[in-house]
Parts: sequence; structure tokens; C-alpha cells
Amino acid sequence: MSLQVRLSYLACVPDPLPAVPPEPCPLNTESGQVGRRTGACGCGCEPRGHRICDTPGRCCVECRSLSRYLENMTENESKTLGKGSVPPGPVPEGLIRVYSMRFCPFAHRTRLVLLAKGIRHEVININLRNKPDWYYTKHPFGQIPVLENSKCQLIYESVIACEYLDDAYPGRKLYPYDPYERARQKMLLELFYKVPHLTKECLVALRCGKECYDLKLALREEFCNLEEILSYQNTIFFGGDCISMIDYLFWPWFERLDVYGIADCVNHTPALRLWIEAMKQDPTVCALLIDKNIFLGFLNLYFQNNPNAFDFGLSS
Amino acid sequence: MRFCPFAQRTLLVLKAKGIRHEIININLKNKPEWFFKKNPAGLVPVLENSQGQLICESAITCEYLDEAYPGKKLLPDDPYEKACQKMVFELFSKIPSLVGSFIRSKTEEDRSGLKEEFCKEFSKFEEVLTNKKTTFFGGNSLSMIDYLIWPWFQRLEALELNECVDHTPKIKLWMAAMREDPAVSALWIDVKAYRGFLNLYLQDSREACDYGL
Repeated sequence: MSLQVRLSYLACVPDPLPAVPPEPCPLNTESGQVGRRTGACGCGCEPRGHRICDTPGRCCVECRSLSRYLENMTENESKTLGKGSVPPGPVPEGLIRVYSMRFCPFAHRTRLVLLAKGIRHEVININLRNKPDWYYTKHPFGQIPVLENSKCQLIYESVIACEYLDDAYPGRKLYPYDPYERARQKMLLELFYKVPHLTKECLVALRCGKECYDLKLALREEFCNLEEILSYQNTIFFGGDCISMIDYLFWPWFERLDVYGIADCVNHTPALRLWIEAMKQDPTVCALLIDKNIFLGFLNLYFQNNPNAFDFGLSS
Repeated sequence: MRFCPFAQRTLLVLKAKGIRHEIININLKNKPEWFFKKNPAGLVPVLENSQGQLICESAITCEYLDEAYPGKKLLPDDPYEKACQKMVFELFSKIPSLVGSFIRSKTEEDRSGLKEEFCKEFSKFEEVLTNKKTTFFGGNSLSMIDYLIWPWFQRLEALELNECVDHTPKIKLWMAAMREDPAVSALWIDVKAYRGFLNLYLQDSREACDYGL
């Protein structure tokens, strides 16, 4: 069967851009102080792949999310809690808490969604090599991410957490409204399931000075499947011409390709490379991009089994 | 395919929601070439609608049907309750492959090892029902999560694995309640028929999928 046809059942028909909610822009300045290209509203939003407002003084969703992030910024960069730490109190109303770790790709998904939707949240980072006993009351196996709300409800598994946030919070919907398009994004996610394991195995092999030729070959094969989807659809993003949930669910592993030393795995997938560049333009992705040197510092300590690895880069 | 537990999930939802549908059974031991255009992996179930849209993966098909069709909602509207059903579903993820291994097991030793694993997994489910204090996994009425896990519990009797629920009384009660459900009864597979199918299927017979017809 031709390469084009094989995965064509997963290709989407791009949706028209949905309507923009009218609200004054929190970052709106005459001169577009944020420093990016100025859109019609003067708020400096990156137009490509986003809804752009055409009424001056009104704003696109990204500015609200970004301004909320800037409010919350200190919250995201807190020291980890480890064994012997005092359990945190209940989550205040109006806030949702995410138990996380700054370098974890699964938790990264949840933080992307929280920011993209402009959801007020607090981050508690967990020391994964020295987990607090109280953390097992949040997750039976002590995994992250876990969401906790002010009703003491706990949600875990990164994909379930992301969907919960999209369902429970108003504003910009990251999953499409159409049931078939929603199903399509979930089928795309199935295509991705080998990637996290393969990228981790490559990282471990390289860090231990071993060859990982077969692993990289397997990873390239997975990337070829994703390449096929993008080429067939002829869209920038996996859900169409706008960024959506599926892109955020994939992103954390692509951000890590370079720092893991396997960036050459996208050498033969041009559409995927274009997608990576488009993702790097997204304000939410941008705001959460981890500095390469800090990530390398973390990885060095992590592979030396240093329990302080997780706090690397934080000012003491 | 009449005996596939994954396809049974989709059929249960179609029945429960009263969705008009037609069934095309695929011979999984002799797949038609054209079927790979419906699903490159060649697996059932696959949904196809009049717009030519194809949906694969049993859990995705079930959720699609619940969203796309009116009538009784099988997934809760409340985002947290919906997330809870998905977390229980994650808990279930080991069971299908355990059943697959059990069906293919060759030695008594392997079988008793697997039975122990089943008991371990089932006790997690018993805990869910104990904590929730409800009959069903989603609350006091039958809902999506119950249909998603049912096909494997239905097959316990045919596989002589009933002993694995001996120490999980709430699961036993749940199974009895499930048997009362109209959709479940409509899609009931006779123990003899299932064993007849399985026998031929394990021998890779092309007649297996049509057993009993």
C-alpha cells in the first residue's frame, strides 16, 4: 500500500478558526512591549497558528494566558519536596495544584495545558528520588503529574489530567468540539505511544556510553509515521492549522531531542521539523522552554544519582 | 468479529444507546485485503460512518459514539467523574493481555501463576467498589466504564477462571448486576460457543470466527 494512503485515515480536514472572545488585552500597549510581531490588536501576539483579533483593544487568548503565567512565574520554580517534608495544606479555592517535576515530560504536558488555558494554578515539585511519604496519598505509586483541586479531588495520568483541565475550565478549548475530530486526535495519540519509552532508552544508552543505533532506528520509524500524517494533511499542526491538544501532548519529547543528543532523528522528516519550529513560536511552548544548560546540568546530576538533581538551576 | 472482546465493547455501546448500525464480521485468520484500508493494523473494531470517517481503537470508538449520538450519556458530564472513569480504565489495562497469555498458556505452572496475577488485579477493582460504595464502577447506575471492562469478566466462566473472583464479593455482585442489563444479555456469548471458537482459533483455523453459524 502506498505510503500516502496508509495513514490517510488519520488525516484531518482543517477547521475554520473559531470566534475570539472579546476582552481587553492585559498586555496591550501602544508599542507592543512584549517584543513580538504586532497583530491588529497591538498586543504583540504571534499570529501564526493562533486566533488573532481584528478589533483594536481586544485580545487573543494567548496574551491572557501569558500574562497569567507572568503573574504565576515564581510559583513554577520552587524547590522540590522530599522525604520528611511537611505535607502541603489543602488547595485554596480558585486554584488548582499540580504535583510536578521541572524536567519531567509527562508533567510538562499538564503545565502546557494549564498555561495555554490560562488556569490559575500552583506547582509543587516532588523529589522523585526521595519521595515524601505523604505523596503516596496523592498517587498510589508516587508518580507525577497529579492534579489536586480545592475539593480534594485527585486526577492522575498526564493525558487524563489534560483532558480534565480542558473539560473543567472555560475559555479556549484545546480538544476540538467535533466528536470525529476528537476521536482523530486520540487515534493520533495512539500512534505516539512508543516515543516516550524509545527516547528515554536512547538517553540512558548514550549517557552510559553505549551505542543506540537500533533504538534510534526504531524512533525514526515512529517519526516517519507522524511525518506521513503531516504531509498528507498538508497542515502545520497535527490538528489542523491551529495548535491544539495533540500538539501539546507530543511536544515535551520533541523539546528534549536536542538535549538528549538525538536531534538527528528528525533529519529525514521535514514536515516534523517545520512543526517543531512552529511549536517553538507558540507563546505557551515558549514560556515553558527549559534552558539547555540547565537541562544538561540536571541530566548530569541525575545520572550521577544526585538527589539534588531536580533542583538544579534554582536560586537557593 | 463475534467473539472479540474489544469489538464487544463497541457493540455494547451501540446497543445501550440504541444506535442503528450494521455489522460486518471480519475473518481475523484470513483478513481481506480491503480491510487494511479501514485499519492499517488490520484490527477490529473499526467504525465507519456514511461520511467515510473511520474510527479505530475500541475505547476511542465507544467515546466517539457517546459524543456523536443523542440519548443516554454513558460517560458522565462532570469532568471529575469522567476522569475517574478513565483512571479506573487505566487500572484495567493489564487484564486483556493477561487473559491473552492465559488462553495461550501451555503449562499448569504458567496458568496458576497467571491466576495469582488475576487475583491481584481483581482485588484492586474490589477496592474501587469498596471505596465508592456503589454497585457499578461509575456509580449506582451502569455506565461506560462497566461496559468497557465487562467483556473480559464475561469470559471468566468459559476460561474456568471464576475462582479468581472468589475473594472479591463486590465484583461478584457487580457481575450479577451486569447480567441483568439488556445490552449485556443481548450480546451474551454462550460458554460452549466461546470454547468452540477458542479451540479452533488457537489452531489458527480459518473457520474459527464463524463457529456456530
